[in-house]
Amino acid sequence: MSGVASPRREAGVALVVAAVAALGFAGTFTFDEVPPALREGLGAAEFPRLICIVILALAALLALQEKRSEAAEPVPATGWWTFAACAGFLPVMAVIGMLPAMFLFVVAVGRLWGERRIALLLASGAGLVAAIWLVFVRVFAITLPAGWLGEQLLG
Amino acid sequence: MDAFLGGMATLGDPFILLMVVAGTLLGIVVGALPGISGSTTIALLLPFTIGLSPIAALAFMGSVYCAANFGGSITAIMVNAPGDPSASATAIEGYKLAQKGQAGVALGMSAVSSAIGGIVSVVVLIFAAPLLARAAYSFGPPEYFALAIFGLSMCAAIGGESRVKNLIAAAIGVLLATVGIDLTSGIDRFSFGITELSDGIDFVPVLIGLFAVSEMLEQATLRGVPATIIAYTSAKLPSWADFRKCNRSIWIGSGIGTFIGALPALGATTAALVGYAETRRWSKHKHEFGHGSLEGVAGPEAANNAAVGGSMVPTLALGVPGSATTAIILAGLMVQGVRPGPHLFTEQPTLLYAVFASMLAANLLYLVMGMGMAKIFARISLIPPTLLWPGVFVLSVIGAYGPNQAIGDVVVMLAAGVVGFLFRRHGFSPAPLIMGLVLGRMVEETLKQSMIIFDQSVAGFAGRPIALGLLLVTAIGLFGPALLRLVRRGVPA
Repeated sequence: MSGVASPRREAGVALVVAAVAALGFAGTFTFDEVPPALREGLGAAEFPRLICIVILALAALLALQEKRSEAAEPVPATGWWTFAACAGFLPVMAVIGMLPAMFLFVVAVGRLWGERRIALLLASGAGLVAAIWLVFVRVFAITLPAGWLGEQLLG
Repeated sequence: MDAFLGGMATLGDPFILLMVVAGTLLGIVVGALPGISGSTTIALLLPFTIGLSPIAALAFMGSVYCAANFGGSITAIMVNAPGDPSASATAIEGYKLAQKGQAGVALGMSAVSSAIGGIVSVVVLIFAAPLLARAAYSFGPPEYFALAIFGLSMCAAIGGESRVKNLIAAAIGVLLATVGIDLTSGIDRFSFGITELSDGIDFVPVLIGLFAVSEMLEQATLRGVPATIIAYTSAKLPSWADFRKCNRSIWIGSGIGTFIGALPALGATTAALVGYAETRRWSKHKHEFGHGSLEGVAGPEAANNAAVGGSMVPTLALGVPGSATTAIILAGLMVQGVRPGPHLFTEQPTLLYAVFASMLAANLLYLVMGMGMAKIFARISLIPPTLLWPGVFVLSVIGAYGPNQAIGDVVVMLAAGVVGFLFRRHGFSPAPLIMGLVLGRMVEETLKQSMIIFDQSVAGFAGRPIALGLLLVTAIGLFGPALLRLVRRGVPA
């Protein structure tokens, strides 16, 4: 045992980058054939292929690099729940509509992040939603998704 | 001259003036909010500007851009939490001054040096941009291709963890720009049968996702440190003695900021850090640095605000973004159907001079607002993140949905947010990806046109001195440092 730790490489990240480039490269073979009359010079597939090759080369360089930063801290439970709240926003919106979903998001995520003043949270959510309604629905005349519930209630 | 006066006269339009005042106020407010940078704000506001005239939209975005850099310095000085990354150098000396009870003087110097830096760079912009545009009239596709490649190569130095990672992000941006129908052959690329993707990736939801949503997800993984505000009376105008002491730093910062800003991709943060280092190098009071130096506030503040005007030079004259924020502004202009470049100076000179005028006005306005309302702005940083970030997400959703009223855009925004979060977590910066996305089409189109001009021979670039020069500079910038290291290793000490 020499006791000297080998430098940590960026191999994992480089592998993911290379996989993205390889997928992109493979994807270019799914493009339709360029009509013969337009087949002069760089076609539709050549440029993306060139970029994929550049990315592959850069990924190889990255794999040889020493990792400079410490490994990122694991994502805490709050982070995962925030991800879930973002992912769940669309299905909730489909059911209750955009504005109520926004209100729910502000209150739920605020609480999740540690806000204990419920009245403040409710007021903040309501104020924000009211401002969005005023600007977007009343001024810009944008139709926001009403959701299944909104359609049932408002027809 | 008529166009210049016409541009200045647009400030007489109450609506344009309102946009400048609103943009300046909003810029200071968001600049003071830690985590919400000028680029995040402009990305969030982009959808709201689509309904405005190009002049009003540009005046608004330009004012936000100018003021956000200054706003960042308020919280950097008062709570040691730079509201904008470009204010991180200001925090080094500014917070030390605040701890010594000189917050008011530090804030005053920050406002004055920011305004001087900003005004110097706008004056340079007024004279340099038309000259650059005139020179660019002789540019053909090979020169534009070389310029775009040079701009992308500058992403390597944009900051972040690694040059290679920055270049990878830029290349992925270019690859994303190829999504949609190829303009020369009409072939659909990477759209996987999704009709919405045939028109290419929409800038707005991607920008909002990469900057705002990813930042919120990042914040969700951090443990907050409660901020404490330092008591002070108000911002003070620097005394004549203070001003004389910092005079040299302000001019050094203004020069460095304008120059770095004018280089494609490099923006206010780089300018501020270099400005701080150079201010220290040339200071006669080096011993004060690290213990609360007023020059250490003046230099970087002048630099980061000077970078704003500087970065608008290549953006407007050549269509190549000078920074991440101007890449977003450029995307906003393209969404509005305005294509920046040399022709703008002949086709829409009033638009350009109106932008210059609004930026000048914004620089003067934030000086007045900063001096008078710094105490209020500093309190903005005390808005709890538990209320702030869920609100940012909600605004992101409406910002992505609004322009096309399409749920698909919200999905794209969420996906971009996750990509941005993973990027940040693994040491990639989202800014080069945006540069790649904005410049991607230009790179491909000009390369194809160049190859047609050169009869499909790359050797044709050798006959175009400007293009060749730019490509050589790019190669030196990319490979020079590595070659130098190799040479040094080979030379015995």
